[in-house]
Amino acid sequence: MTRHTHIVKVHHLSLAFPTRHDPDPKPVLKDLDFGIRDGEILGLIGNSGSGKTMTAMAIAGLLPEGAVITGGSIKFAGEDLTAMKPRRRRQMLGSNIGVIFQEPSTALDPLMKIGTNLDEILLTHGMKDKKERRERVLNMLGTCGFTEPEEIYSRYPHQLSGGQRQRVLIAGAALLEPRLLICDEPTSSLDTVTTIQILSLLKDICHKMHMTVLFISHDLSAVRNFCDRVMVMREGEIVDRDLAEDMLLHPRSGYTAELLTNARLDTRMLGLERATVDYSASPVLVAKDITARYDNSSADVLKGTCFEIYPREILGLIGSSGCGKTTLVKSLLGLMPHGGTIDCDNRQTGAVFQDPVSCLNPAHSVEWHLLEPLRAAGVKLNKQERINRATQALQDVGLSADYLSRRPRQLSGGQRQRIAIAMSLMLEPSLIVADEPFSSLDSSSAAEILKLLTDINRERGTSFLLITHNIHIVRQICPRVIVMDGGTVCEEGLTSEVLAAPKSDAARRLLEAEATLHGENFSE
Amino acid sequence: MQSKASSFRAKTFFITGAVLLGIVVLAFVMSLVCSPYDPNATSAKEILLPPSAQHVFGTDNFGRDVFSRILDASKYTIFISIAGVAIALLLGVVTGLPAGYFGGFPDRCIMLFNNSIMCFPGILLALVAVAVFGPSMFNVVWALGLVFAPTFARVCRAGAMELKTRDFIMHAKVMRVKPLRIMYSHILPNLMPQLLPATVIGLANMTLFESGMSYLGLGVQPPDASFGKMLADCKAYVLTAPWLVIFPSLMLIIYILGLYFMSEGIRVSYSGRSDS
Repeated sequence: MTRHTHIVKVHHLSLAFPTRHDPDPKPVLKDLDFGIRDGEILGLIGNSGSGKTMTAMAIAGLLPEGAVITGGSIKFAGEDLTAMKPRRRRQMLGSNIGVIFQEPSTALDPLMKIGTNLDEILLTHGMKDKKERRERVLNMLGTCGFTEPEEIYSRYPHQLSGGQRQRVLIAGAALLEPRLLICDEPTSSLDTVTTIQILSLLKDICHKMHMTVLFISHDLSAVRNFCDRVMVMREGEIVDRDLAEDMLLHPRSGYTAELLTNARLDTRMLGLERATVDYSASPVLVAKDITARYDNSSADVLKGTCFEIYPREILGLIGSSGCGKTTLVKSLLGLMPHGGTIDCDNRQTGAVFQDPVSCLNPAHSVEWHLLEPLRAAGVKLNKQERINRATQALQDVGLSADYLSRRPRQLSGGQRQRIAIAMSLMLEPSLIVADEPFSSLDSSSAAEILKLLTDINRERGTSFLLITHNIHIVRQICPRVIVMDGGTVCEEGLTSEVLAAPKSDAARRLLEAEATLHGENFSE
Repeated sequence: MQSKASSFRAKTFFITGAVLLGIVVLAFVMSLVCSPYDPNATSAKEILLPPSAQHVFGTDNFGRDVFSRILDASKYTIFISIAGVAIALLLGVVTGLPAGYFGGFPDRCIMLFNNSIMCFPGILLALVAVAVFGPSMFNVVWALGLVFAPTFARVCRAGAMELKTRDFIMHAKVMRVKPLRIMYSHILPNLMPQLLPATVIGLANMTLFESGMSYLGLGVQPPDASFGKMLADCKAYVLTAPWLVIFPSLMLIIYILGLYFMSEGIRVSYSGRSDS
């Protein structure tokens, strides 16, 4: 066995949020003990709240206010980070430790051009020569896969797509050639095709510049294809660690196996069972030649989209970012003006949106949320009936009546998504439009929400329009799928046929990306 | 989650503010139930007496008890500031929310009106209104309310513009919640972190404006007392009878500082927990 040199050595690290009332609270990180080897890509996986991000922030020295390291040490290249003076610690950031965050839209200063944003980094780290800085930035943009660095250099952040912004951030982190790069879920807000580009770019740069990477993710398959080693965290502890390939194919701990099952969304293991669809019945929704455009643009985002949804059907809708999926949802729900006709069953259409953080009103309680659809529809109920209806709605989505008085900020992402679903169900709609309801949830919550949706579909016969970039989910629960590209439906048919032999370029691209990211044997 | 430091800071601000405001409220209550003298009773024998056991804050140039007059003035000051801010808040919310929520033509109309009010100095507008309609306390109240309304309208408009794109408002629209209900039941409660401190600061600014107007003789009319009026009346005696300046100014400072501390406390306590 070869001996590895460790660039980071975490020794019995514990972390907690002590307060005056509770000086000895439950630790957020418990006795962590691990090392990051020089030059490796180490994956860190686990559900939300398992302490992944806290671990990374402890190493980077960016812990939130109130967090206290209660024991242990972190050594970076032999130096103890926990005993270091704040000033020296700050100097480590950037030049020795680089960080890439999850949300590329908020990490760049919107008032500065991309070039200025990156130039600033070199300037703060003491590079005085203006010409040299520009050269370095342009070079790095080229390395990060931009074919026209000059063009990108003079653009503003809002003129770039999510994937491009994430590449700019990688360029920014790589500019100072840090020895350790911490990536905190860098791909979770991106679609499959872009995710692959970003991951291969990261891998490339790491090899070229000999960087070590700590890669945090809840996308297990991405970790398998990208990382050398993987650690699994649960409630602040490391429960499993192994080579990536070994762990994800032959998990040793029960918890890892559970995570893998959830990520695989195995229909039998999860007990997913959808309703049987009768295609001879009249459709619940027929959309004909829908066109839509945004106020200040001259080009149509939707160019004559046509499709129909049958009763009890879960219709999958896939397509890469920018193909018009979200615009279609807004048109269907009557949130933006559109051309063409939408014939819909008179009953109300429900909606579940992507972001569980903003889908509930932070100023109101869960009970208020559940009763709002009834108030809006003019249903008059007395106090006891109201409580009964709200409690019943909570039970329908698998939550207890204790949640009635809670506020959105006291709920997890999965719980919020459940409340949003319960709200949609209050008026018994015939169709629910779900716009990427899983993409911001960890795999366990996503599996639970998916099960909930199929249960609703089976028991109530509610139809769904399910928009997702996870082709695996479509394969498992949608009998029929439509593929969108450039504002039109480019392919439509039975899921098994479309995914087995895609006819359109767009579908083929999506499937190729899926195969690269998740690997055939993983999804089958 | 509210961090330890910010909750401690918020508490300190709240307590300081409450103690200071408590003094003014106590004066207000005393003016109603147990004023030691009639605040408007003059006495030729007791002109410009320094503070003593009989007249704790001394007497003024008409022999009126300064302590009783301060109690009386706090009554008017509190009334004018609260009534004025209530009018401003109401006008601001009623115009600002629809402007931000609907945008387009209604927004342009409402904001044109608001901006035209804002481009004049507030005190000037209020003075013109009072000069035209005659100096009286009620004219001061509505004039100040009108002058302060655009500030609140701007806060509401900005908040509505930001919140209307959030998913929960989309959700409400999908549920066919009526626009009026979306504005007042969905958006307005989320604006409290901005509106509450603005209201309290508004109270303080309103008090300063009122004092200024009374100082110029266009606010509270004699013989009623007001802090600004009391300061104006004693201009000639600043050096010979300093207690005439010190005590009304002190009360004014206490009231305004108390309000500022309160608003700071509200702001800190909201910013401490809005991170989630």
